[in-house]
Amino acid sequence: MTATQVHETISEETVREISDELGEPDWLLDTRLDALAALDELEMPDVIRTPGRDWTNLDGLDYESFVDPLNAAEEKDQLGPEEAEVLPLSEAVEEREDLLKEHFGSVIDPQENYLTALSTALFSTGTLVYVPKNVDAEDVTIRTTQHSQSLFNYTLVVTEQSSSVTILERQDTGESVEGDRYYSGLVEVAAGENSHVQYGSLQDLDEETYNYTLKRGDADDYATVNWVEGNVGSRLTKSSVETELNGEGSETKTVGAFFGHDDQHFDIAARVWHNTAHTTADLVTRGVLDDDARSVYEGVQDVGRDAWDTNSYQRENTLMLSDESEADASPKLIINNHDTEASHSATVGQIDEEDMFYMTSRGLDDESARNMLVEGFFVPVLEEVEVEELREDLETRVRERLHE
Amino acid sequence: MSSEQDQLKETNTEERFAFKKDESAAVKSDKGLTEEVVRLISEDKGEPDWMLERRLRALEHWNEMPMPTDWPGQPDLTELDVEEIVPYIRPDVDKREGADSWDDLPEDIQDTFEKLGIPEAERKALSGVGAQYESEVVYQNMQEQWEEKGVVFCNMDEAVREHEDLVKEHFMTSCVPPSDNKFAALHGAVWSGGSFVYVPEDVTVEMPVQAYFRMNSEGMGQFEHTLIIAEEGSEVHYIEGCSAPKYGSHNLHSGGVEVFVGEDAHVQYSTVQNWSKNTFNLNTKRAIVEKGGRMEWVSGSMGSKATMLYPCTILKGRNASANNITIAFAGEGQNIDTGAKVYHNAPHTKSTIESKSISKDGGRTNYRGLVHISEGAEHSSTSVECDALMFDNESTSDTMPYMEIDESKVDVAHEATVGKIGDEDVFYLQSRGLDDDDAKQMIVSGFIEPITEELPIEYAVELNRLIELEMEGSLG
Repeated sequence: MTATQVHETISEETVREISDELGEPDWLLDTRLDALAALDELEMPDVIRTPGRDWTNLDGLDYESFVDPLNAAEEKDQLGPEEAEVLPLSEAVEEREDLLKEHFGSVIDPQENYLTALSTALFSTGTLVYVPKNVDAEDVTIRTTQHSQSLFNYTLVVTEQSSSVTILERQDTGESVEGDRYYSGLVEVAAGENSHVQYGSLQDLDEETYNYTLKRGDADDYATVNWVEGNVGSRLTKSSVETELNGEGSETKTVGAFFGHDDQHFDIAARVWHNTAHTTADLVTRGVLDDDARSVYEGVQDVGRDAWDTNSYQRENTLMLSDESEADASPKLIINNHDTEASHSATVGQIDEEDMFYMTSRGLDDESARNMLVEGFFVPVLEEVEVEELREDLETRVRERLHE
Repeated sequence: MSSEQDQLKETNTEERFAFKKDESAAVKSDKGLTEEVVRLISEDKGEPDWMLERRLRALEHWNEMPMPTDWPGQPDLTELDVEEIVPYIRPDVDKREGADSWDDLPEDIQDTFEKLGIPEAERKALSGVGAQYESEVVYQNMQEQWEEKGVVFCNMDEAVREHEDLVKEHFMTSCVPPSDNKFAALHGAVWSGGSFVYVPEDVTVEMPVQAYFRMNSEGMGQFEHTLIIAEEGSEVHYIEGCSAPKYGSHNLHSGGVEVFVGEDAHVQYSTVQNWSKNTFNLNTKRAIVEKGGRMEWVSGSMGSKATMLYPCTILKGRNASANNITIAFAGEGQNIDTGAKVYHNAPHTKSTIESKSISKDGGRTNYRGLVHISEGAEHSSTSVECDALMFDNESTSDTMPYMEIDESKVDVAHEATVGKIGDEDVFYLQSRGLDDDDAKQMIVSGFIEPITEELPIEYAVELNRLIELEMEGSLG
């Protein structure tokens, strides 16, 4: 299907105005206009479908009510160490046009689906992170606080040979607005040979906000792309974290954590494509659901025909705290090369009654016991988060939510 | 190895499955699916009006529903042209009601079943054997002792006449309605033959009940319907085997199986299918399980060009349980898409799914499963285990489980592993004097053991023999 109801400001004039504001070159404007023109033809991103059911209803969203691209407002920190270049897009189009031109849209096709095209046509803010050869860059921070009805954010990370970088991203909402909001973020990571990218993200938008995020990395020979994906906020999140292992011996690890309450809906995907030999992937996700919250998890390990000597692992665990919540999971293995060691597992369950009994018999009240067990449930994934700051942020948000 | 196994091993399985007979039909419908064909089938069977009406309603569903096309990784059905399939062939058997004894059958049909080892199996004191040839069950026998207890085992066409009330109540109503999917609709329109099993309250049928289905004619469709009703506290094990020789044009098998498992009853349904490699095998099998009942599905899917089969269990009553064991083997040009579906609709229900697949020479296996736990189905548990063994780099193996969990007090676990056949294991066995093929064969036999140990010995032997032949690449 195609979504037809778009806001009247989603027009060529709007796109030209945004592009002009950022001082963009013509080729980038053309990319935007092409994406805009394609909207009529494009489909919503894939969601899990079983006969008779779409697990996430993206067609039900009323884009007209919350897409307001010309009044975008945000507060942004884009900080990094001197060795790396961390540039707002308006500067990047001047100072690093070559890099933008080479990589923009090369990892995520702007016309991949309706929402990527919408994001490409309308993004008004963004960041370029560039790490030159042999440079180690720690503590790159991209913090975005959305003040407007809608915000379209674009991030490009380029690491040259044998460099490394740690990036922490955080999205939240500031000033309140009338009605629903929309946040859309595209992240492209082009990891050069033997480089090491660690990209951590904490999504903490308010619960009136609909959120579409697609992050995808392209790993060159012996490169590593690691993701930490924390989802706490939003009314509905459709988030996908993906790595294409295109280089020999490349690796990826995804650590995900989500915590839904009230009537939040999380549609979370972790995907990896093993396209060459000797590649390794490890996908780990844990989530907790309370109240009427719902999670849909899809994990895909796709081992291509040329991916000899592959190692691929996936684990997903969901803890349900209420009878009204719903946890759906589909961990998929697609194996085209037999020289593979692959496994996946998924579990859904409640808090162990014996654990509860043990804790309460030690003098804790029910709620404290439950909270401790929930915090304990996240420990195995939090331990995998190598960046202390992000780990603490996540721990704090989990604790806050438990005491809300 | 027991003498039984020795004896069965001596049978030339390749010859048993690859031969075909000249077709001799008494009534043969036109190709394609029209109201005339449906009316012809119903009239030829002398059916009551209500059954004809159900067929015609199913035909409407067939005409309205789209072909399944966009499931992720779905087998390609574009080569399946239902307009070219002959839905109904009644073989030329003198006695319409099915022959009373083996010797009454025409010689060529006897010969066919001799080669398949059916009477041989019966001589081993199996309780009953139904053999379906084309669209009709031509031979059935049920030991008197079961009849005395009120057990019914007959062909489905006869059941419509002899057990009309039971059939009218259960046939494609609540379990597999024709609106369920495109091929259930097709099946409802042109179904023919199959088995009817009725087990009264508290009766245990100690020996497995067996039926063997075979398609012999080129370009035909086979649409047998199996209806099993196990009343409260009863127990029965039903086994079907299927095969068809290979022809140039495509065959279609679209069976329907409905199982009603009463309170505290126990039904096991075992299948070994080895359709020829131009057969599309698109079935709908479903069980409804009442309080404390238990349903077990054991499936070995070997043959066919494409199989789409996901036996479904609805756990309707408290403490109901389901076990699924499936094995899929896909060789060159084959796409075996199989798995299981379980709906947990009551508290304290349990299910297990164990799936094994082997792919080689470009074959494609897929586990597709759905576990649904409804709100209120508290203290339910399910465990899904999938293992895939791949022989070479041309083959593909996918695992696509879906889990929908609406209830928090549950225990849901899914696990899957994929691997190649272990070089070390092969080396070890070779160093013990086995050649490469035998070593691999032995590893595969070990891999599928959880399936074979659930089957009666002759089916287990047959399954092993079939896999052996597949491994040698000698089965057409």
